[in-house]
Amino acid sequence: MSKFIDIQIDPAIVKRAAGGDNKAHEILYRAFGAPVYSVCLRFTRVPAHAEDLLQETFIEVIRSIAKFRGDAPIGSWIRRIAVSKALMFLRSAWHSRGQSLDDDWDDVTPGRAESHGISRHPEEAIDLDAALANLPAVGRAVVWLHDVEGFTHKEIGGMLGKTESFSKSQLSRAYQKLRPMLDPDAVVGFGGNTIDGPVLGPC
Amino acid sequence: MNCGLTIAERDVLQMKLREMADTMPPRAVWNRIEEQARAEGLLKKPGMPETVKWFTGFGLAAAVVLAVIIVPNSGNRIEPVKSTATNEFPTEPAYSPAADYMNTRQYQVINALMVQSQLLERDLRALPEQPLVRRAGTIATISGLQDRIAAIDYQLNHPESRMTPQQQEVFWRERVRLMDSLVQLRYAQAQRTSF
Repeated sequence: MSKFIDIQIDPAIVKRAAGGDNKAHEILYRAFGAPVYSVCLRFTRVPAHAEDLLQETFIEVIRSIAKFRGDAPIGSWIRRIAVSKALMFLRSAWHSRGQSLDDDWDDVTPGRAESHGISRHPEEAIDLDAALANLPAVGRAVVWLHDVEGFTHKEIGGMLGKTESFSKSQLSRAYQKLRPMLDPDAVVGFGGNTIDGPVLGPC
Repeated sequence: MNCGLTIAERDVLQMKLREMADTMPPRAVWNRIEEQARAEGLLKKPGMPETVKWFTGFGLAAAVVLAVIIVPNSGNRIEPVKSTATNEFPTEPAYSPAADYMNTRQYQVINALMVQSQLLERDLRALPEQPLVRRAGTIATISGLQDRIAAIDYQLNHPESRMTPQQQEVFWRERVRLMDSLVQLRYAQAQRTSF
């Protein structure tokens, strides 16, 4: 389950925050600042961008918390704001480079896992963070949203302004890239066609 | 569409992704958020929060009640200042043993409370820093106690408050009580972290 959902906040704090209480907002920030920053950092990989997104997220929380009805946990509401800000950033970054979101796999230089800090030996520590860094930004975001935050492909596609199939395709390509670090015996070509080993599961 | 991973591999990946630790943002970010929110008029101006005002009012009322109870029952009634035969304005305050005794006792109590408060401050400083991962309820309670202590300090140190010794005693007593709760809470938090 997402870390955002695990964090419990007293409804009285949320109520105080809705009234513009500074201390209550600080409590919310202390509780959710790290998960928000972590998501933004995983998506952007640049601490300065992640800090900006964290600031934008909490300004939006302060601005809109009076409209929060409490139907869902406050954590999932804050998460949605953070994810939306981070994805908006990715989309704007790609648009400003004159590329579409689909193109970003072309930017990834094929190479051996070791060259990106990924261990292919089970006895070595697996640096999952480095493996994720080796993925293109959108692929990384889709993996995180689907596998950690629990969003559906339909929701992810919607947030990216794309289709459900786009999200599935991004996840599949990301998995193909991450596979060597999970199974050292599997041979994965960059085209993703030469996977040996057990039956592959559906996305 | 296949996934590129077997079901077992996907389970391992998902488990490892969820186990990844969060990264703490730099401390300055909250200050920037607060500044921006204030500039946009989204947060209340700093000042005494409603709860603090309520406690301050309660403290003052308690001080008045205490004064009303203690002074008449002290056993020695304070003699009114006698008027001189010549109706001259007295140049020295009239000596009142009862009032003198009350003030001395009061200041001794206040001094004892101040020392107790300092010892609790020292205990608090000796505790380890707050852990990075904290329960939101604990954060709120600690924050509430700190607010109330700050409000009392404000009252005790404010040059215009001009409190009587009775009022000061009430405030110092409340400060010690709150400091004690804060130390106990922080101690429990430190204990939880060490396991």
